Amino acid sequence: MHSNGYIFRFVLIMTTIVAVVLALMSTGLKGIHDKNEAVYNKRAILASVSSQLGTDLAKLSDDDVQKIFNEQIEQKVIDVKGNEISKEQVIAAGYKGGMAEHIDMSKERKKPETDRLFPMYVFKKADGKKLYIVSVRGNGLWDEIWGNVALDEDLNTIAGVSFDHKAETPGLGAEIKDNAAFPAAFVGKKLYDETGAYKSVDVVKGGVSMPNHQVDAISGATITTVGVGEMMIRGIKYYEPSFSNIKK
Amino acid sequence: MGELANLFVKAAFIENLALAYFLGMCSFLAVSKSVKTAFGLGLAVIFVQAITIPVNWAINTYLLSESGLIGIDLTFLRFILFISFIAAMVQLVEMIVEKYSPSLYSALGIFLPLITVNCAILGGSLFMVSKEYDFAESLVFGIGGGFGWFLAIVAIAAIRERMKYSVVPPALRGLGMAFILTGMMGMAFMGLMGIDFTAFGK
Amino acid sequence: MAETNVAEVKQPAISFGKEEKKLLTDPIDSNNPITVQVLGICSALAVTTLLSKAIVMGIAVTFVTAFSNLFTSMLRNAIPKQVRMIVQLVIIAFLVTVVELTLKAVNYSIYKELSVFIGLIITNCIVMGRLEAFAMGNSPWKSFLDGIGNGLGYAIILVLVAFIRELFGKGTLLNFKIIGNTPEYVINTTDSMLFGWYANNNLMVLFPSAMFVIGIIIWAHRAWNTKLVDVS
Repeated sequence: MHSNGYIFRFVLIMTTIVAVVLALMSTGLKGIHDKNEAVYNKRAILASVSSQLGTDLAKLSDDDVQKIFNEQIEQKVIDVKGNEISKEQVIAAGYKGGMAEHIDMSKERKKPETDRLFPMYVFKKADGKKLYIVSVRGNGLWDEIWGNVALDEDLNTIAGVSFDHKAETPGLGAEIKDNAAFPAAFVGKKLYDETGAYKSVDVVKGGVSMPNHQVDAISGATITTVGVGEMMIRGIKYYEPSFSNIKK
Repeated sequence: MGELANLFVKAAFIENLALAYFLGMCSFLAVSKSVKTAFGLGLAVIFVQAITIPVNWAINTYLLSESGLIGIDLTFLRFILFISFIAAMVQLVEMIVEKYSPSLYSALGIFLPLITVNCAILGGSLFMVSKEYDFAESLVFGIGGGFGWFLAIVAIAAIRERMKYSVVPPALRGLGMAFILTGMMGMAFMGLMGIDFTAFGK
Repeated sequence: MAETNVAEVKQPAISFGKEEKKLLTDPIDSNNPITVQVLGICSALAVTTLLSKAIVMGIAVTFVTAFSNLFTSMLRNAIPKQVRMIVQLVIIAFLVTVVELTLKAVNYSIYKELSVFIGLIITNCIVMGRLEAFAMGNSPWKSFLDGIGNGLGYAIILVLVAFIRELFGKGTLLNFKIIGNTPEYVINTTDSMLFGWYANNNLMVLFPSAMFVIGIIIWAHRAWNTKLVDVS
């Protein structure tokens, strides 16, 4: 019915129109997309200190979130030895923004431990006290899980945590994020015991024996919550050298 | 090697595209009235899945990403390119089957072109992107995922063939029952969660 | 849906008579895409865990179905037969990409929650099904209405399932806390005399529950509209 030349012209015109329209939309909206993604990440970090913000995190507008970050949060990037890395070095490592919030923890995990960069956020509360927020990443049942841990000025007591995941099951593994009681259980726990030994906070089944260093697992989500414990112990340990530097 | 075997089992049983994520439901429910047709469709799905997922991986890695051959971020073309390749692939499979096995071709009939719009096929490719698999993992995921879907549709076809002899309330007969059966099969497959072959020998 | 070629009456291009009204109302009841035509089920399951996701998905699918119907119908005589399927797929994929880019700018968190399932609108059998069954043989305006009707029929079922799943699985609706065990909920089960026994049904949060709920909706639909009972 239609000649080959017609088919060819038809397909060519159609592909051109489609490609041009989509390219225009994509480039035109890129600014908004990037801003949305940045605010989304910022919210995730603030979720660990949500109790200290005064209002519900969900009620804060995007501009409010940006404001808090600009005024109350100091961003640092630490290497595995505990030294602060300059912005230029972060950009050189492949992160165009150069700040802690741009670091992709899943990419860092694939690097050898000596090359990794770690983000740290110093949150200045309204009363002048500081909270140190660190990021950890681990494995859940289906895919990766991650979290932000906020520590008091003593770099020992946990002020708040927030967890997230890629693909955990709703109602089971996803409860680390959806059920407010789980992160709340971490508040007040300590990283170091009375002798100063590093214990962090583990997640255990069947009852807590060390109240300062253990949290109850979520029933039905053993593997995910055990993954959280492993992540807390290993992930925070990377920051120990920087803790010693800060305490000096 | 163990990781890949683990991935195969995960893709086929634990993260079964049909029974854990309920993808490909349209043809799953429409074709599963007899085991014979379900069998044929399932085999075709394995074949298409095993080829489209690795090739879509190549398209995604080498054409669409910023570090690919073209050098600019073309991810907004992902949907169009993926579905076009799947359509082309199914067309190719159709031609090959028609040439080398005319009996199989007529047995499958219209189900062959319908594979193009089977959510499980595109879904498999999109999962591959979101899980950031490499080439070997994509290949195993494709074969495993297709195989899992094949198992699911043959299983439910077998059950539905027997449902013909059961007493089902009229309004629930047929489609309604199929949904409930699929839901129960999904729940059964949830029991496989947490199986990890690499756990042995730790 | 049969075309009557009895008299060549000159129809106005855009009119809204009885026939057009039927295009909108049929898919909601007697020709519902999910419960009768058995289309579009794939994405109906993962997105019905929250009412907000179901509403967004319903709007997205209605948009894609209506406009792909419209574009295909406008081009129906120009599309070469040999590349028909690819052309249809490109139109659909194009519209879905538009939806994705728009959603990413307008509501980033729902975009992240829906993730893979936005892309799966492309393979949503409803869209392709309506293109083949209607748009390829009817006028653009009617095809557009048919697309809206089917999209709405799909959206209604989705919203119904999500309503049940979110309310009984999480005790919330659109994040309004309705029934639960802390004082923030409207019905606080720890204090309430009537509902003290109630606890959230965790099965509703898991995927298979969507299957059960849809199965029961189909049962109810066919019991009410007995013309639809499967007599095979």
